Amino acid sequence: MIEDDEGHARLIERNIRRAGISNTIHHFTDGTSALEFIFNGSDGPILNGPAMVLLDLNLPDMSGTDILTRIKSVEKLKRTPVVVLTTTDDKVEIQRCYDLGCNVYITKPVNYEAFADAIRQLGLFLAVIQVPEVVE
Amino acid sequence: MVALDMIGFGGAKLSTQAIRRLLAASLALGATILVVVCLSAAWLVARDQEYTGWVNHTYTVERHISLFSVLFERAEAARRGYLLTHDDRYLVGYRESATALPKELEAIHALTGDNPREVAAVTELDPLLSSKLNTLEASMRAAQSQSMAAPTDAATLEQDQPLVSHIRDLLAHMVAEENRLLQIRTERQTANAELLLTSVLIAGVLLAILSVGAVLLVRRYAADLDGSQAELRRVNEGLEQAVADRTADLTRANDEIQRFAYIVSHDLRSPLVNVMGFTSELEVSLKPLQALLHEVGDKAPTIALKAAREAVTADLPESINFIRSSTRKMDRLINAILKLSREGRRTLTPEQLDMGALFGGIVESLQHTAVERGAEIAIEAPLPNISSDRLAVEQVFSNLIENALKYAKPGRPGRIVVRGRATANGCIFDIEDNGRGIAPADHERIFELFRRSGSQDQPGEGIGLAHVRALIYRLGGSITLDSELDRGSTFRISLPSTLLRDRDQTA
Repeated sequence: MIEDDEGHARLIERNIRRAGISNTIHHFTDGTSALEFIFNGSDGPILNGPAMVLLDLNLPDMSGTDILTRIKSVEKLKRTPVVVLTTTDDKVEIQRCYDLGCNVYITKPVNYEAFADAIRQLGLFLAVIQVPEVVE
Repeated sequence: MVALDMIGFGGAKLSTQAIRRLLAASLALGATILVVVCLSAAWLVARDQEYTGWVNHTYTVERHISLFSVLFERAEAARRGYLLTHDDRYLVGYRESATALPKELEAIHALTGDNPREVAAVTELDPLLSSKLNTLEASMRAAQSQSMAAPTDAATLEQDQPLVSHIRDLLAHMVAEENRLLQIRTERQTANAELLLTSVLIAGVLLAILSVGAVLLVRRYAADLDGSQAELRRVNEGLEQAVADRTADLTRANDEIQRFAYIVSHDLRSPLVNVMGFTSELEVSLKPLQALLHEVGDKAPTIALKAAREAVTADLPESINFIRSSTRKMDRLINAILKLSREGRRTLTPEQLDMGALFGGIVESLQHTAVERGAEIAIEAPLPNISSDRLAVEQVFSNLIENALKYAKPGRPGRIVVRGRATANGCIFDIEDNGRGIAPADHERIFELFRRSGSQDQPGEGIGLAHVRALIYRLGGSITLDSELDRGSTFRISLPSTLLRDRDQTA
């Protein structure tokens, strides 16, 4: 999970847990450390296989779309599902994310119930989707 | 000519005014010279004609004098012939000459009346001629009466010889006098002709010099004009650059504001999401607490403090509700700013709009609300068509008509009239209603963001009219309001007939 707002991160995490997902969640508040973990971390997805990225677009040090581009340009990672979570409901921005290979785009609404619902459903969704196998 | 030298070779920059003055002066001088030349030429030509007349007059007098002397000699010769031969043919010739002679003398007298010398000669000649003619007549009569055969003696023939030579001398004098006059007059005529030629030549030279000077001046003037034109062009280009710079500055400032509004509204949402989210979390956490308190109340009422119960059952839910409604409102406001800034960034695409159909569509979409509220919407055809951005125009007018429906006067069936007309500067559309009206103090205020007027009995954030005005400004138009409380309102929108594409590049 790459999310600079601690509060948002906490809310997302709580809702994911409520949906019954118990996988480890690594939380990063900036793009640089997130990329470092994804590409070089000893327990990062590039070395350890299946993962899912929850990505906020407004990060202090880079744009979320940059991270999305980086992830989708690497052979080992391009099948990793990326869920974009952001406050932008700008149609152009959404379109751009899907063009870059984002799998799900969720707008953070102020209507928290709907948001929590979406996250929980995402959790259910994650529970049933087939994460691609990584050949060891 | 001093001035010309100064211009031609002085090199000093002459002011345009000085050049203009010099030009005018040289033109005036040229005109004066022309007038003087014309007048003097006319005068000289007139004088020449006069002199020619006098020369001709002299010739006429000379001709008459020679005619007179010829007649005189003929009379003398005819008489002599008759006296010698008594032939009647000589008699006829004599008679002709004798009758012509006094007439001729009379003619000479008339012609030379202005010359005292000639008059004196004629006066002297007159008695001489008479006496000579008498003598001749007498000798002729005597000859006629004598016998045909008797020849006249030489004495008789030569008796008046001194008289004849006197007459001949006089005539010669007269001719000499006329010749003298002729010479004088011819000389005068020649002098006059020379004068005419000279004056025309001088005038020609003067005019040539003047025109050369004028040409030099004009060339100088034209060069100066070219110079100032180039200067003007340079200044003009500078001005255009200044305007372009200023426009760029304004565009930048405008973009900055738009971006600012976007970022602010965007970034305000993030904390709001937290406030809202954790409020819900609080609510979620409250539920087990409430259940616990309930259970405690049931099982051990003594432990359940009244204050704790109140806090959990009344204060906390109330606080949460307030937080929630406030954040909702804040979210709506932020959304409004976001919408406005997004509208400001949207590219306008002008197209030809059938305003009748456009209003028809708006009315149709609002028909349900209108029927619900018992209002009717009338469109007074024909409406002028414009070329503008469809979405923006639709938003403007549907917003205004929706407002008119919304703020009807309670107890009075609403009636909304749409009118339009084309003017020289564009098209004007009126949206007139008979609703509750707007107090004059609020006429400006209602167009401001988040400001509303009158009793707040209708839902809304005070965004509509601000949005409408921002859109109209972007479309290059304006909106005015004519309204009185309880009397209804008329919104007057003027839009350009054709939206220029340039506007949306700078906007």
